Amino acid sequence: MKAETNPQHHSGLPSMKFRISKEAFLDGLQKVQHVVSSRTTLPILSNVLLVAKDGRLQFTTTDLDVGITGSVEAQIEKEGATTLPAKRLVSIIRELPASEVDVSVDGKNHASIRCGPSFFKIIGLGEAEFPPLPDFEGAKIFKIPQATLRDGLKKTSYAISTDETRYVLNGIFTSFRDGKMTLVATDGRRLAMVDADLEFPASHETDVIIPTKAVQELQRLLGDAGEVIVKLSDSQISFTVGDSLLASKLIEGNYPNYRQVIPGDSNERVVISREALLETVRRVSLLSSDKSNSVKLVFSENHIEVTANSPDVGEAQESMDVIYQGPPMQIAFNPEFLQAPLRALDTDDIYIDLIDEMSPGVLRIEGTFLYVLMPMRVTN
Amino acid sequence: MESEEFEAGGVADEMTLQIEDGRDWDHVCQDLRAMVSADAFQRWFGTARWMGVEDGIGSLAVPGEIHQVWIETNYLPELTMAVSQTYEEVREVRVLVCDSLAVAGTPSNSFFSRQQQRPTKSAMLEGEALERRTKSAGLNTSCTFDRFVVGANSQFAHAACEAVAKKSGLGYNPLFIYGGPGLGKTHLMQAIGHELLRCQPGTRVIYLTCEKFTNEFIDAVRRGDIEKFRRRYRSSDVLLIDDVQFLGGKERSQEEFFHTFNTLLDGRNQVVLTCDRPASEIKNLEPRLVSRFECGLTVEMQPPEMETRMAILKKKSMEWKVRVDESILHFLAEKIRTNVRRLEGALMRVATYASLAGESVSVEKIEHLLRDLLREEASRQVTIDDIQKAVAEHYDLRLADMTSRRRPASVAFPRQVAMFLSRTLTKGSLMEIGEAFGGRDHGTVIHACKKITGKINDEPGLKDAISRIESQLRR
Repeated sequence: MKAETNPQHHSGLPSMKFRISKEAFLDGLQKVQHVVSSRTTLPILSNVLLVAKDGRLQFTTTDLDVGITGSVEAQIEKEGATTLPAKRLVSIIRELPASEVDVSVDGKNHASIRCGPSFFKIIGLGEAEFPPLPDFEGAKIFKIPQATLRDGLKKTSYAISTDETRYVLNGIFTSFRDGKMTLVATDGRRLAMVDADLEFPASHETDVIIPTKAVQELQRLLGDAGEVIVKLSDSQISFTVGDSLLASKLIEGNYPNYRQVIPGDSNERVVISREALLETVRRVSLLSSDKSNSVKLVFSENHIEVTANSPDVGEAQESMDVIYQGPPMQIAFNPEFLQAPLRALDTDDIYIDLIDEMSPGVLRIEGTFLYVLMPMRVTN
Repeated sequence: MESEEFEAGGVADEMTLQIEDGRDWDHVCQDLRAMVSADAFQRWFGTARWMGVEDGIGSLAVPGEIHQVWIETNYLPELTMAVSQTYEEVREVRVLVCDSLAVAGTPSNSFFSRQQQRPTKSAMLEGEALERRTKSAGLNTSCTFDRFVVGANSQFAHAACEAVAKKSGLGYNPLFIYGGPGLGKTHLMQAIGHELLRCQPGTRVIYLTCEKFTNEFIDAVRRGDIEKFRRRYRSSDVLLIDDVQFLGGKERSQEEFFHTFNTLLDGRNQVVLTCDRPASEIKNLEPRLVSRFECGLTVEMQPPEMETRMAILKKKSMEWKVRVDESILHFLAEKIRTNVRRLEGALMRVATYASLAGESVSVEKIEHLLRDLLREEASRQVTIDDIQKAVAEHYDLRLADMTSRRRPASVAFPRQVAMFLSRTLTKGSLMEIGEAFGGRDHGTVIHACKKITGKINDEPGLKDAISRIESQLRR
């Protein structure tokens, strides 16, 4: 090699060396960076594992609960592995001018990053310390169309509880039974549920709870076409999409019997345009007070009036044409909870089934989706 | 759904009693029906069971977690209002999951204990309830205050524990009890739990060893349900943790313990800890934990003196209803000095032997019977070597100074202290002691003993120093 002009001290031959485009490097890093642990007790968990091999650069991060790995193409000059501080690496690569990046790592895990006139040297840790992703030998395997799973997660994940004291609700309940995959999320005020037909052997029937963090990562990973391969062991789950792999612990414990929540026969059904309702609620809720935080739906024949008011601020009102044949009634909902499913759905029309103003409303579509929403108390 | 079935299971009695009391769940239900929809009432409260009121807190048992989640997030204001219209003193209503409601049958026993204030409830039932609470708190039923023999060695610790048991949460928090093995630390600590459960039945008392705490913590981390672990311990009113020296060197457990500890102290909940040494001497314990342990009241338990040992033996033989000759009790008390547990073990062996042999037992026979125990006790006796080391360490001298010919006061005085201790703590003769201190004659030893005995009463500092060295030697 020709003498290098960089201000770098030579500490022997590099133990790993590759050249990669800035865009590919950043892309690979961004796919895994969200998993990096915020726990400070184990420094290695804030690092990303880089493995250069077979013309690809592989990225892996884990926080011991969730682990993710993916790869991008790179010109590998010397195969090897190291771990580098993930957040720092991402911020460096993001700032580089768009061109080729040269990275070489010495035996002490000091990485030299060169890109045009820029030079960075960052100190990493040995790859041997990096915890391996779990093993899925003997696991049950499911093949699910990516679009199906992505759609199911989108329609349910917003209803996951964030209350950590109810840890079994901090995830999506996923049930593989009777030739169907059922996804359920609830936080005690609302419940979202999606069913999808899926082929799998009867011996694979099982129920698991996938934690929120894994759900979020999975949503980033899933695309429109192709299949995702799901492997399920007793306490772990993994999802393989192309050459990316997401592995996660499952939430242990029993999911509450959510079917208890779903109301029986409704008295009245209203058919509403999804987008129109979403927009109306969004506008009207601007005037809902922080305290009550509710919008009121006042029903009359083929017509609803959406209103909100906060005593010190003012009030808003908007009327919509709907299909409704029942008696006049009114019911109040939390506007955010009403909008969330409307944003996640893609049909033109939705149905809301109502019993009375004190009973939960049920939002449905043409398809296997169901959303139970508790009404707010109306104070006159 | 299965409401008739569990009413049949022994609950009917209680229902009647509550009606006699003029206040009943039916009343609450009437009010509740007016506030929630008929469907919601049937769905969420139809299978619920009222568990009574304790300390202003009403309890409602429901058959599943989903009921708990849904009632707590949606109907708690209505429920609380309905309950307080019937039970005026209720400030708060808790919803509890009771699995046995789901599978029809008698309600879970643990809930029984929450039902107080039933005038006709028999003493027997009350006793049973107490026993159940005791068991679920992890307490040993025999460790109560009335079974503890108080001597000069444990007077302070005993008084501190009683004070804690009487007004939990005030003053002595945390209470840190330390002392050698078998001196009754655990007994006193558990006695606090018993007393509280007896006088204030609603108190949530948890007793566990530090080792169990650590193991449960590791398990929880491994299973990933750390929240459950935290909820359990951080919601206790009184947390009793035995043998905290096991925390030494366990960093993550210390971290968790630290937060649990702070949560409880912030909430003015009582924490009691025992340890085999002072907090500052626990190896590899974070300084912030040491200072937390020391921020309440620290009490030491000493080995009991002769009179207390006799009292313990007498009390035990009465409790066990065994008759043992006074001279034999005296012999045991004389020989076994450092450990009450061992003392009781010896008494048990003597009593068993006497009842089997059927003959009158002599001191010689006992000596033979307990030879292994006595040998071990003897081996735990302090040697002159130990004393020299301890004294040298205390006065910051070299061990060689103990036996050297040098006589500056800085060396000679500690040497005299060591001789005095050797005379009082070992069975060595004046000759043997003199020999061990660099071949001095017996007159030197006598002089040392006289001098120290004289000074001990005049100089309080010396008395303290000597008793500190002594207690260190006995550990």
